[in-house]
Amino acid sequence: MNEPRAMSILCELTYRCNLQCPYCYNPLDLENYRDELDAATWIRVLEEAAGMGIVQAHFSGGEPTLRRDLVKLVAAASQAGLYTNLITQGTFLGDDTLDALIAAGLAHVQISIQAPSAALGDKIAGTRVHEQKFDALTRVAARDVALTLNCVLHRENIDAIEDVIATAERYGIRRLELANVQFYGWAYRNRLALMPAREQVQHAAQVVESARERLHGRMEITYVLPDYFGDFPKPCMNGWGRTFLTVTPNGYVLPCPAAAAIRTLQFENVRDRSLADIWNTSAAFEAYRGTAWMPEPCRSCARKEVDWGGCRCQAYLITGDAGVTDPACVFSGDHARIEAMREGTATAAYEPRRMASSARR
Amino acid sequence: MSDRPSFAKGVRFRTASDGSALLLVPEGALTLNGSAAAALELVDGTRTLDDIAAALVDQFDVTQEDARRDVSELFSRLAQRQFVLL
Repeated sequence: MNEPRAMSILCELTYRCNLQCPYCYNPLDLENYRDELDAATWIRVLEEAAGMGIVQAHFSGGEPTLRRDLVKLVAAASQAGLYTNLITQGTFLGDDTLDALIAAGLAHVQISIQAPSAALGDKIAGTRVHEQKFDALTRVAARDVALTLNCVLHRENIDAIEDVIATAERYGIRRLELANVQFYGWAYRNRLALMPAREQVQHAAQVVESARERLHGRMEITYVLPDYFGDFPKPCMNGWGRTFLTVTPNGYVLPCPAAAAIRTLQFENVRDRSLADIWNTSAAFEAYRGTAWMPEPCRSCARKEVDWGGCRCQAYLITGDAGVTDPACVFSGDHARIEAMREGTATAAYEPRRMASSARR
Repeated sequence: MSDRPSFAKGVRFRTASDGSALLLVPEGALTLNGSAAAALELVDGTRTLDDIAAALVDQFDVTQEDARRDVSELFSRLAQRQFVLL
């Protein structure tokens, strides 16, 4: 087995966002993350990341462009030798911001849309932003930075997948990521409304397959079948604490962006210890690293270093125990719970992602 | 082979502190072997594939013919994946 080696850091700069997408994987208690790290701390973290051999820095959130010091952070990451990627919904990407980010060394921008049409897109986002996003797409595509268009698919928009691809084609997109919703954070809360029907998922897969053939050499399409409709779980994060770490807006270091939901683990903070110390020795990272922690059926399974037991967060959300086999696996004793979860309903309403005001608390 | 390869948008060549070389691309990283790293290190939009092959002959114990073939294969593979422009 390869030794764990951190390759990527996801910097969740803020959980503030002007959109209210019901499929967001951010935690429900967004208001508990308002005490954001300052620029100096983020820069220290990025330099520590480069020092421990990490090569990619992803800036996300929430909406990372809401941080006024974003350009400074991207510049610091680039200077430290990190590949920089901005994951944004694109509503604050003015020309000046874009040019400053690119001058600071930004290599890749990933812009998400909610749907191919304004009517559906704005309904899902909970606000009128569709036109702005497409304006941003055009301006990013014209600049010296790589661009990926992303659309999270769920019950309400998956049938528009053909139109998403056609729209991407019209805008000259070379890389398109069609991501089936994963059920963490707000998406888990809204799972009844978001869960696609099996026929929808199968139809989408067929559309992608023929589009890939037609667009070969012009557009690369990423589409991963959701694990709750398959037999085996996803190799979440390529294994817990193996190549990837996340830093939350207030400095906690997580092996997976959804891991804060696991209440049985104590996560550590970059305000108290260095990133390398946390990666190498923190109990939360050690808990499910490698294969020694695995119970049956993982322990004796030939796939244990293929899917690494699946997703710890999904295991916790569905069973209450982060240390069991991911219920998405057909061999899991809890697999019936995934089967029951598949029953979405077209009539269910979702709750928009919102940061509770202090008055509501 | 007079093509002058350059990196596509968002593609970066990096050497790590332990000497290993990577091609960093949107959403991924390719680990490079010694000769691929030596070739990609020379990509600057002005050198031709011939220039790059000639440098490999000097650096590694290979014939000019083999170097040209390897370089041509490497770059056409990377071009197909849209990581380099020829």
